[in-house]
Amino acid sequence: MSTLLTKRLARSLWRTKLRLYSVILMIAVGVFAGISFGTYANSTQTLYDNIYTDDEDGVNLPDIWVENSAATWNGATADSLCQTISEQWPDASMPLETCEPRMVIDGLMFHIDEGEEKFIPAVWHGIDEGRVDRVWMPEDDCCSGRLASADDEIVLDEHAASGMEIGLGDTVSIGAGHGSMDFTVVGIGYHSQHLFFSQMSSILPAEPGTFATGYLSDTGIERLANLSAGSANQLLLDVAGSPEYDLQSTDEVEGERLSEIISSVRDTMMAADDASFITYDRSGVESVEFLRADAEGASKSYPIITGMIAMVAGITIFLSLQRLIQSQAREIAILRTLGIPKSAIMPGFILAPIAIGLIGSSIGIVLGVVFGGPAMVAMYEDLLGIPAIGFHTDASLIVQNFVIAMGIVLIAGIKPALDASRMQPLEILRGQHEVRLSSRGIQRLTSRLPTTVGLTIRSSMRKPMRLIFTFFAVGLSMLIFGTMSLMMDSMGSLVGGIEDQNWDAQVNVPFGGEGAVIGWAEEKGADHETMLVFPGNAEGDTRQFLAYGLDVISTGDDAMSPLNLLEGSLPVAGATPTQVLVDEGTMMFLEWEIGHTQTVMFGPFSLDVEITGVTRGEISRTVYFHRSDLSDAIGLEATTVLLSLPEGVELDEQIGEMSIGITQKQDMLDSFDSLLEKQQQIFNAVLGLGVIIAIAVLFNTLLMNLSERDSELATLRVLGAPISRIRSMMLGEHLAIGLIGGVLAAVFTIVMTQYLISSIVQWAFFFTLQPDIMAALELILVVVVISVMCTPYGTWRVSRMDLVKKVKDLSQ
Amino acid sequence: MASGTVRALDGVNLEISEGERVILLGPSGSGKTTLLNCISALDSPTAGTYTFDGSPVPRHDAEEMTSFRRENIGYVFQFFNLLQDLTVLENIMLIQELSGGRDEARARQLLELVGLSGEVDRFPAEISGGQQQRVAIARSLAKSPRLLLGDELTGNLDSKTSAMVMEVLIKACETKGITCIFVTHDESLVEYATRAIRLDSGRVMSDSTIE
Repeated sequence: MSTLLTKRLARSLWRTKLRLYSVILMIAVGVFAGISFGTYANSTQTLYDNIYTDDEDGVNLPDIWVENSAATWNGATADSLCQTISEQWPDASMPLETCEPRMVIDGLMFHIDEGEEKFIPAVWHGIDEGRVDRVWMPEDDCCSGRLASADDEIVLDEHAASGMEIGLGDTVSIGAGHGSMDFTVVGIGYHSQHLFFSQMSSILPAEPGTFATGYLSDTGIERLANLSAGSANQLLLDVAGSPEYDLQSTDEVEGERLSEIISSVRDTMMAADDASFITYDRSGVESVEFLRADAEGASKSYPIITGMIAMVAGITIFLSLQRLIQSQAREIAILRTLGIPKSAIMPGFILAPIAIGLIGSSIGIVLGVVFGGPAMVAMYEDLLGIPAIGFHTDASLIVQNFVIAMGIVLIAGIKPALDASRMQPLEILRGQHEVRLSSRGIQRLTSRLPTTVGLTIRSSMRKPMRLIFTFFAVGLSMLIFGTMSLMMDSMGSLVGGIEDQNWDAQVNVPFGGEGAVIGWAEEKGADHETMLVFPGNAEGDTRQFLAYGLDVISTGDDAMSPLNLLEGSLPVAGATPTQVLVDEGTMMFLEWEIGHTQTVMFGPFSLDVEITGVTRGEISRTVYFHRSDLSDAIGLEATTVLLSLPEGVELDEQIGEMSIGITQKQDMLDSFDSLLEKQQQIFNAVLGLGVIIAIAVLFNTLLMNLSERDSELATLRVLGAPISRIRSMMLGEHLAIGLIGGVLAAVFTIVMTQYLISSIVQWAFFFTLQPDIMAALELILVVVVISVMCTPYGTWRVSRMDLVKKVKDLSQ
Repeated sequence: MASGTVRALDGVNLEISEGERVILLGPSGSGKTTLLNCISALDSPTAGTYTFDGSPVPRHDAEEMTSFRRENIGYVFQFFNLLQDLTVLENIMLIQELSGGRDEARARQLLELVGLSGEVDRFPAEISGGQQQRVAIARSLAKSPRLLLGDELTGNLDSKTSAMVMEVLIKACETKGITCIFVTHDESLVEYATRAIRLDSGRVMSDSTIE
């Protein structure tokens, strides 16, 4: 291999620095994005596996839950039920390792914030043995202390502790419907049911200071809720190993054996106890399921996003390298004419893309490992408030991205060089290889236009494949930004429904406790409505929905809780079968239809319901009943009172002590705003990435077009074309390319977003695309602006052309 | 004179009258193209004056120089430099448009003048080199220039075609009363000129009238 020839090539390529830099930039961006997203996807998956595992560092997450949905078992009953389940365990090959009773109740935390007393909705766990579903206290700055043992000790969730600036040794005042009591904070940690720290059925992470969870000893919770010793409302069953369970996101039944065991446990429970209960696996635990869905979503979207970036980068690299190497055609021809064989010329053209690929990949790898991956994980930690312990960028991820990048670069670089080396030298030296007959069709179409306009259009379409690829690449690059924009708009409309609610507070009450709250409301002159919320599931399906029993089912703006009826009609109370509304997510996943009758289960009790309509805007899966109908079915009157407070009336200690949780609408709106703010940062980062890629793609193509028209533009200047005329021609061309590219980008985005949403929505997390014309226009505008930005550079380039030199070139 | 300084033109004093056909001859590096560049306001002399029709020619502002070229100069290149995406007729109308308005009838007249009225809808790649050069001549006449310049305009043509192109050029210039200056190595083209100026090392070596 000739060193001189390779040196010649290197110098020649160096003369087109801008194009060289753009190729290296695209490679770096592609590799960087692949490593960053890949690190995020891998880390989220392994994080949960590590947290849930049964070892000293993990929490030993149970496999089956049996939950008493309406009452509490006393100690003897709970132990007896565990004994019965153990004795009647159906599968010896998947033995039951532990059955542990657990008490989990809703409550309140009384917290003074800037001199003002706040009633913070809370969930309290009473942990006895703690062999399963332990509190997670990793060795990290987040956590400290020990588990609660005495009846006045509490371990506070880290989310709550940091949000309210509570530390070890502090005293907190908490309640569960029986007044408030003081507990000393002896530990700060996490729990599997609240890793995703939000109130029940909310996808919004709770704003600091608006939600609390704590982990008491068994005696502690008995003291708090005035319960007898050993009381429990959950039985946690831990099966040996970690058996597969049925995932909500697939149609297959992954955990067939576990499902059979759950069915058997259900039968055992029905025979052993009268209580209304539900049984579920890990998919029924909101936090666990949500985080699993999030990790799965990241794993699914990572290859799509990095695939898109790789395609965009690949197209740009291909076009640029092709152009770079084609510009070497003349030199190759001269060398061939001088008698230098292909075997001496080609090695340089293999080395060049390798070198370019290595430089770009190295930059991308360093940026991805040092900045991108940690930044993505830090963003995740910030959003969810969980320390991503032990995350790292896998070497296999780096290798994977490197190999893909080098593959694209090699194909893009070697092919044009091979093509050039096969051409006849004489043809190249005469310039005949660059002569292209213009399209007669386009000439006819544009013949009536001013000649400069016609010239602009025809010049742009001289290399139609390059133009098509450019449009495709621009469409893809804006897809990343556009998809995020559309998804955020769609999610925004989902939680925007909170603003339409006319209640100020949802007060959760113990069974039979609604009367006291209603009395308080009437005394204060507050409007009120009772509500009954109860978990249920479709017959033969383990996925849970929430049944909402409303006093008033209405779509009117003045209703306390207005619904967004998509299709069908409102149900009538007292009908047979019971009439209900179902949210569109439930309808889709269960394949239900309006007008059909289905059977729903509330624990062991079944009820036939007729679906009269579909609603939109529910965050979790929901079925709406008239409260009287639901109450007849399950034997409970109410679980919640909705309050609309008159001016000047605030919640006070009295209502705090009679409730087991209060959710204020303003807190939910604040949480949404906070989430939006955090999402905005991610959004801006993704927008920046999309715009950078779009700039690189458009600039690359438009600059290539410009440089190929150098002689044409120089001729026009020599013949007296003013710079303003050339600027107008360029502006017209760039505007047209921007508009077409922008429209294509908008179309791509809508189609792809629809596909992405359909691939990531799950039972626990469902929303639909709400395409917004403004978002599409915004996309188009971004592309047009980027395209038009090329004009000043092009004009500057032409204005500083050395016409004397150009004339000499033109004359030679 | 400091070492490293090159005098591309050295004390060139010329006065060219309207209607003259001037041929600039000389070896490579003699300053022919530099002189042509100064005359066409592509370049500015370091010292001295250049007046056109009694008025000084702009020499610093690029746009003023471009404007001067547009209004007064027609240019023919050695390699024709027609715009490949425009037909023969459109190449001529482009220049008209840049100067203020297109006139298809006049463009067709010019093509007839150069003997290409049958090729109006052809693209440059579809016609021969000689035909392309004739189109380039027609293009250079499109805005009725006062002065037509050519740099090696037969350099890419065989002798028969060169002769044909020169005859077309001379006929067009005589018809329109256009002054011509062309640069060439080819001594045989002297017969088409009315005046021959020889340059060497930036100096005028001889300036003779041709009968």
